[in-house]
Amino acid sequence: MSSTFLLGAANGVQWGDTIFYLVLFIVLMALLKHFAWGPVSEMMDKRADKISGDLDSAESARKKAEDLAEQRQDALKDSHFEASKIIERAKKNGEQQKATIVSDAQEKAQTLKVNAKEDISRERQDALDSVKNDVAELSIEIASKIIRKDLNANDQKALIDSYIEGLGKQNEAK
Amino acid sequence: MNEGAYVQKLFGIPFNLSNDIPGLIAAVIVFFLLFWLSRNIQLRPNKRQNFIEWIIDFTNGIIKGIMPDEEGKKFGLLAFTLFVFIFVSNQLGLMLQLTANGTSYISSPTSNAMTTLSFAFMVLMLAHFLGVKKFGFKGYFKNTYLSPIPFLFPLSVLEEFTNFLTLALRLYGNIYSGEVLLKLIYKLATSFGIASFIPAIPLELIWQGFSVFIGSIQAYVFVTLTMVYISQKVEKE
Repeated sequence: MSSTFLLGAANGVQWGDTIFYLVLFIVLMALLKHFAWGPVSEMMDKRADKISGDLDSAESARKKAEDLAEQRQDALKDSHFEASKIIERAKKNGEQQKATIVSDAQEKAQTLKVNAKEDISRERQDALDSVKNDVAELSIEIASKIIRKDLNANDQKALIDSYIEGLGKQNEAK
Repeated sequence: MNEGAYVQKLFGIPFNLSNDIPGLIAAVIVFFLLFWLSRNIQLRPNKRQNFIEWIIDFTNGIIKGIMPDEEGKKFGLLAFTLFVFIFVSNQLGLMLQLTANGTSYISSPTSNAMTTLSFAFMVLMLAHFLGVKKFGFKGYFKNTYLSPIPFLFPLSVLEEFTNFLTLALRLYGNIYSGEVLLKLIYKLATSFGIASFIPAIPLELIWQGFSVFIGSIQAYVFVTLTMVYISQKVEKE
């Protein structure tokens, strides 16, 4: 047929074909748009949107994570600093406490010592005093026992004399 | 082709049915193929959807290389339909040739100059129409015919006709010659009985393979040039 067309042959140009193909093509295009092209390209657009949205949200999530990590790093650094400060303070406190405790103890020991010394000397005094009394009493008792046993008039007289003499001496000494 | 055309007159308009029937068959094949491919569309594509998306990406890629994005988006459907239809038309005659009583019923629709001229006519009319619509008739005239240098006006007018003819006849010539050679090889196969039939089989096979290649290339070239012509009318040079 094409040879006849090119030669312009007897049965002429079938120009109905042009109309036929025009209509065919337009109908085909409309059908494809409705059944194939439309849904598929819509889905492709949707996918492209979703992918770009996902990329955006991933980017923001990454940024957030980075910020958090930085914050954590800062906090860690701060806490190190704080901890060393706390330790230092505790050390100083301990030192101070130690000094006060030691000085307190020394003071206390000193006073204890002083008190003990006083107590000891007083006790000694007391003991001496009581011993003196006891000795005097004892001597009186012994003396009375001896006297009661064999005391004649001479002896009594001599004893009284010596006694009086002793008294006089004692008064002199006072 | 040497077979007679099956011409019918309807309302006084002559229709060449040996050209229209394969066109209809190709359109039906295209429709059902793409209908089948585009069922059960999902955000995560399955195999069939991947295939149709690949075709769409391919035709969109053709446009993207020629026109800016916001301009080219309108022509996605046109390029897609044109490409798939011409591709299927080119391959149809390679698989199926039906001739009865000296009248051809099935062959490649694009192996007929009337078909390719119709498509080229349609596409170029669309291009001119879009040019007028965008710039007004005066702007269109200036942009198309006087644009780089006014004194090339006669050449510009001539170019429009050569565009039309080359676009149509390139496709027609490639497919028609492919079918002629297929038929010649078939004649060779049947001319000396079994002695020529067997060696003709690989020959036919090779030529069919090559024709598939040519048909794909020509479909691509036709769509590309269509978009180039449209962009020439729509874009300011």
